[in-house]
Amino acid sequence: MNFFNSLGLPLALLGAALAALLPGIGSAVAVGKTGRAAAGVVTEDPSMFGKVLVLQLLPGTQGIYGLLIAFIALSQTGILGGGASAMSGSQGLLYLAACLPMAIVGYHSAIHQGNAAVASIGLVSKRPDQFGKSMIFPAMVETYAILALLVSILSIFGVGGLNA
Amino acid sequence: MAVIQMKRVVICALKKNRKQLLEDLQRRGVVEISDTGLEDDIFHKSNLSDFRAIFTKNVADARRALEILNSAVPQDQSMLSALEGKKALTVREYEEFAKRHDDTLRAADRLEELEKEMAENRAEIVRTDLEREALSPWLGLDIPLDFKGTHKTAALIGTLPGSLTQEELAEKIAQAAPQAGPFSAEIVSTEQDQTCLFLFCEKKDREAYAAALNFLGFARPAVQADKPPAQQAEVLKAAAEKCRQTIEQDQSEIKSYAKYRDDLELLEDYDAMRSDKYKMIGHLSQSKRTFLLAGYVPAKKAAGLEAALTGKFDLAIEFSDPKEKDDVPVLLKNNAFATPTEDVLESFSLPARGEIDPTALMAPFYYFLYGMMLGDAAYGIIIALVTFILMKKYPRMKPSMHRMMNMFFYCGLSTAFWGVMFGSYFGDVVDVVGKTFFNVNVTIPALWFTPINQPMRLLVFCLLVGIIHLFAGLGAGLYQAIHNRRYKDALYDIVLWYMLVGGLIVLLLSTSMMRDMFSLTFVISPVAAKAATIVACVGAVGIILTGGRDSRNPVKRIMKGLYSLYNVTGYLSDVLSYSRLLALGLATGVIASVVNKMGSMAGGGVVGAIAFILIFIVGHTLNIAINMLGAYVHTNRLQYVEFFGKFYSGGGRKFHPFSASAHTKYYQFKEENES
Repeated sequence: MNFFNSLGLPLALLGAALAALLPGIGSAVAVGKTGRAAAGVVTEDPSMFGKVLVLQLLPGTQGIYGLLIAFIALSQTGILGGGASAMSGSQGLLYLAACLPMAIVGYHSAIHQGNAAVASIGLVSKRPDQFGKSMIFPAMVETYAILALLVSILSIFGVGGLNA
Repeated sequence: MAVIQMKRVVICALKKNRKQLLEDLQRRGVVEISDTGLEDDIFHKSNLSDFRAIFTKNVADARRALEILNSAVPQDQSMLSALEGKKALTVREYEEFAKRHDDTLRAADRLEELEKEMAENRAEIVRTDLEREALSPWLGLDIPLDFKGTHKTAALIGTLPGSLTQEELAEKIAQAAPQAGPFSAEIVSTEQDQTCLFLFCEKKDREAYAAALNFLGFARPAVQADKPPAQQAEVLKAAAEKCRQTIEQDQSEIKSYAKYRDDLELLEDYDAMRSDKYKMIGHLSQSKRTFLLAGYVPAKKAAGLEAALTGKFDLAIEFSDPKEKDDVPVLLKNNAFATPTEDVLESFSLPARGEIDPTALMAPFYYFLYGMMLGDAAYGIIIALVTFILMKKYPRMKPSMHRMMNMFFYCGLSTAFWGVMFGSYFGDVVDVVGKTFFNVNVTIPALWFTPINQPMRLLVFCLLVGIIHLFAGLGAGLYQAIHNRRYKDALYDIVLWYMLVGGLIVLLLSTSMMRDMFSLTFVISPVAAKAATIVACVGAVGIILTGGRDSRNPVKRIMKGLYSLYNVTGYLSDVLSYSRLLALGLATGVIASVVNKMGSMAGGGVVGAIAFILIFIVGHTLNIAINMLGAYVHTNRLQYVEFFGKFYSGGGRKFHPFSASAHTKYYQFKEENES
């Protein structure tokens, strides 16, 4: 069991890294996709810039949520800000598990929110007056990222209080 | 909180007053003109699209002229100039402009002409430059390039491929045409891949030498001119110089039109208004001497309109209540606190006939929820201050822009309120600065509690807010149903749901599991729990029995009732959806503390302070921008999906009065601004 216990901090760091990594990749892919669609709309009508920019940014939030979880995990474990004391292997696994909802849901929801945002950009380009509604469709997808964020936040804070 | 009542108005007036009457209505901007629906032997419609085409062209001309003028004489525009709004225009200025209209149009045409001339001259300069380039190998030749020979002699001027010397050239030509008479071949210039030559021979040998040279790959010069190349080059240079001068003259002439800028802007608006007016004439039913106009006017403005019009013109005006099947446009009227969120409602959908205007109910929730999601005192104060200053500085900004600013002003206040409640000022900047630079531990305590320390407590509060919001939505539905005298629907679709959902919530709270999970301090007495069970059961049975009341078949009815009972899961997900209040609120705070922590990493001292300030400014600006967007989107979602889902579907058409400012870009009438 000694070897497993030496893995405590690495496992926690793995969780934090995944939380920053996967949603970050997902958001980058999605924002890239929406950016191309938005650029296409702006070539036709430069006055649409403000509206399509908002839509482009919508799937970018998962990356930020991921960063947030990574940051909370890093500071809770003491990797950031110093004072990282050795932790047991099971404690490390707990942190890893706590990060997973954000990592996995963040990645997929970013990409699908990106697809919805591309469609919404198409909608706004044809009917600029429907901007309010077009924003809601991608926001629907984000709900699940927010739920995952919530579970991850609550878990990380909860793990700190456990004596595993 | 109201949808303004509309009256249908019909005006019958004399045709000779048509122009004045329409212009009067246009300035007032209170009547939406629609088709009269009357067309017979006496009344008919006129098609004025030809006139409109002229006005549309004038508008386009003026716009183009302004573009030319702006690129020649740039206006110093700040980033905020878009907020300035339209300039005020008096009726007198408008009428005086009629005299200057044609002059201004000529100025616009002249500007376009100058622009075209400049483009042509620029193309000419490019052409002469290319020609001079082509002449450059021939500059040593002192006869014109199109020289064919004299009476007895022939000349061949052109190029051969490759770089040849005098001897090589003579040898090659002699080999290619051995039978021909004497010749003289002179090299004008050689380059890496071509040799420019001048061949001189007797006229009778011309054909032979031409054939010989063609065999060697001879090509005539690309440019032909009747002057020796050097002279020709001079001519071209002079021409280019002249073009340049013309461009400069044109440029300065364009600049001299700068004083026409205001008039050109007015021209664009003036003809846009006229085009709109002619479009409206297309809606009128006209007889030989009279015309009929029909439309909608807000009921409150009807009397004023009648008094003003009958005082000025000879006409008959009649108001009536819209009929059931009429497509009545919707105009909202709310108090100053709720009005800013009208646009949020409008981007969902305006109320359909018989629906209430939910703006006044929505507005307080809107600001409340937005503030919870952003939840930082400093951010809120910044937002409120910026929007307040902008509103004061640009009083004439577009009404929709003003409403948005106003909405964010209230949202900013609410954000500041929640920030104080949760003890968040730029996240935890006070702690971080104190610890890093002054080595003291200071914290501004939260007025209520710190969410990051007690997330479950905030979650419970968020869900409670959600339940209140949803019940308010149901309440609005109840009001609407009673208002429209649909008492049965009110009972079946709303009261029963109140019973079921309310009962279930109390029941859930009485279980020990929920009590532990949310660490509730109060205990629901068994009696209350029992009462709640009964209420919920009554509600559930009622819904099963009445949910499918559209169907006659009793089996189908019960099945449909069961299906509508299934909607109770919808309430569960609706309430859970409010957990985003917690998540987004935490996100703002945690990202803010990430920024602060990053800033403090450079340590104390002067260098640390500079690094801190830079990271602080960039980081918090980004955080405000991203989270303002997030809070905006998700507040809208909570309103559209969870709140409106309970009672509101919309589908109304917006009131578009025939108004001068609807199609103008730079000006609006003073009177209209005040009314």
